[in-house]
Amino acid sequence: MEFDWSPEDKSHRAEIKHFLKEVLPDNWDEMSSHGPGSDIQAHYSREFCGKMAEKGWLTQHWPTEYGGRNAAPWRHAVVGEEMWAIGEPRGSQYMNVNWIGPAVMKYGSEKQKALHLPLISSGNVLWCQGFSEPEAGSDLAALRTRAEKVDGHYIINGSKIWTSYCRYANYCFLLVRTDASSKRHNGISVLLVPMDTPGIVVREIPSVVGDRYFHEVFFTDVKVPVDVLLGKENEGWEVVNTALQFERIGAARYARATVTLDKLADVARERGMMDDPMIVDKLGEARALCEAARVLVYKVIDLRAKDSPPTADTQVARVLSTQCDNAIGRLALDIFGPESLEYASYADANFRLAMTAGVAVGATEVQLNLIASRFLNLPKE
Amino acid sequence: MDFELNEDQQAILEAVQRLLEQYAGPARAITLFNEQGYDHELDQALFEAGFMGICHDVGSLEAALVVEAIAGHAGVSSATTELLIAASINNKTINGPIAVAVQTDKPVPVRYLAHAKQLLLLSNADAKLITLKSGDVEAIKSNFGYPMGRLARAVGGESLGKDVAEKLKCWWRLSLAIEAVGTMDAALKHTVDYVKQRRQFGRAIGSFQAIQHRLSICAIQVEGSRWLAREAAYHNAQPEAVANAAAFALSAADLIFTETHQMSGAIGFTREFNLHVWSMRLQALRQELGGLSGHRKAVVDARWMKK
Repeated sequence: MEFDWSPEDKSHRAEIKHFLKEVLPDNWDEMSSHGPGSDIQAHYSREFCGKMAEKGWLTQHWPTEYGGRNAAPWRHAVVGEEMWAIGEPRGSQYMNVNWIGPAVMKYGSEKQKALHLPLISSGNVLWCQGFSEPEAGSDLAALRTRAEKVDGHYIINGSKIWTSYCRYANYCFLLVRTDASSKRHNGISVLLVPMDTPGIVVREIPSVVGDRYFHEVFFTDVKVPVDVLLGKENEGWEVVNTALQFERIGAARYARATVTLDKLADVARERGMMDDPMIVDKLGEARALCEAARVLVYKVIDLRAKDSPPTADTQVARVLSTQCDNAIGRLALDIFGPESLEYASYADANFRLAMTAGVAVGATEVQLNLIASRFLNLPKE
Repeated sequence: MDFELNEDQQAILEAVQRLLEQYAGPARAITLFNEQGYDHELDQALFEAGFMGICHDVGSLEAALVVEAIAGHAGVSSATTELLIAASINNKTINGPIAVAVQTDKPVPVRYLAHAKQLLLLSNADAKLITLKSGDVEAIKSNFGYPMGRLARAVGGESLGKDVAEKLKCWWRLSLAIEAVGTMDAALKHTVDYVKQRRQFGRAIGSFQAIQHRLSICAIQVEGSRWLAREAAYHNAQPEAVANAAAFALSAADLIFTETHQMSGAIGFTREFNLHVWSMRLQALRQELGGLSGHRKAVVDARWMKK
């Protein structure tokens, strides 16, 4: 047991920091306040990820045969931390490199690999994930969107909801039911669907979280060739579970929270609020939470680095990351006071970013169920 | 970065656990509690097995792992103080049992002071290493799981200076965090075992989601505490890291106390049920070195007020 970064990882962090200083535009702070799903960040992510790709850093954790450098998960974690800390200039493309590309490597046909992996590793493709449906949220296995095989094609009908990043997405990592008679986890497949296929309609759902955050995606007789199937037909549940096993901690939320908290403390000090014991107490509490979230995420990265099977440590880290985000979102309001109430103010932007944490990538209650059964071995009914 | 024990650490942990199974545990803690006694036999066994010098001989993380284990086995021993806090002072002879306290106008209960040969007494400006004489302390009765004493008169001792005082506070915070981890872990395990066995309404109460979610939240808090404290130990008790570890663990301690008692029901209040051996100690740990608000303020001071 030891808790040091390797000298190579440390120097890579310094390189990344320097790179970010060089390439990010002067108005980056303002741009990033709109969130990774915003129009401005969606467009900028292509430019930024292209530069990351030129450096060889975008997919350095991929195997060399797919253009990566076989970098260890710790190296990729350094990149993730630095990206999230500064507001995630990769936009939604962090998903591409974290799990969509690896899922294509593991389950994809040679044709799919040849198409998708170079696109992702060059940083010029946007993806969205088509998972949740109106009647299948936390209970994802209840999904009903159908894909029927007709003459060498799938005909897709149904709808997805709460979809982020889909307005400009080129592809959708889509979960569908390919066996009409199936129930629950059986009969589900993954299709890699081009978003410009006729019959797909995207409609924004206005929300308090921000513009362009949530969407509905409607599929009406969407016809795609059968070779968009990822993995085996009707065995998509395994594909998505494997792909997402570490993704619950894929976004280094604690890194963003840490930067926000430092800024809040600066503001509190400048405004003489450090004499207020309640503010001091909350700052101390939030900082400890950030650090606990960080170290628990590191524990999961350590498991991944050792190729260990996934454990409920992922859920443990995820729930604490959520608590950390929420604590800092609320503290931003406490410190900025009524100024927070202006839309897109610093506190408002951070509060909005934090408020989805307990619902995104699986509701906290689902994570707690998994911790109860897998970590504590508590009995079922 | 490696979260698994290496071979040496594994061997140390196995050895201390074997020793603790023989010399410590809840039954032994209850026997000693009834006479408000101290476990000199455990101290002797730890000394003879070479654990007392582990911080210098091996490292602070390994010392922390031993302290975590002693706390988990409810050891009635100031070795937890000796291994991390006292071990941070160079060139001084430490003769346990040893107590550590903050100087106060009015003497307050201090863990292990009734049995201590030495006292580390900290103030803002100084730390003193005091060799205690007969009549310096009085034993007092406490319900909070440790034998307690308080100073009966003013005592003087060797001044160690302000820098040492600051360093001692860091190691003290670390020790509190680590002791809380071992203690919380044992209390939580005890409760998880209980809710698996206890049946009401025709089923194990641990199968109710209302119980499961709360226990999961407890487990998350214990895990966060454990890894923050171990990381802080590895980095030799740096001020911000130990303040974070103590702030997190001693907040978690209150949750673990409340939830383990709530889920154990009335039996959890009895002396025959072992929960109190750990649970009551958690509240005692929460009172030391300025308590939770003190640790959180230390976080703020270390991170943002030194600029």
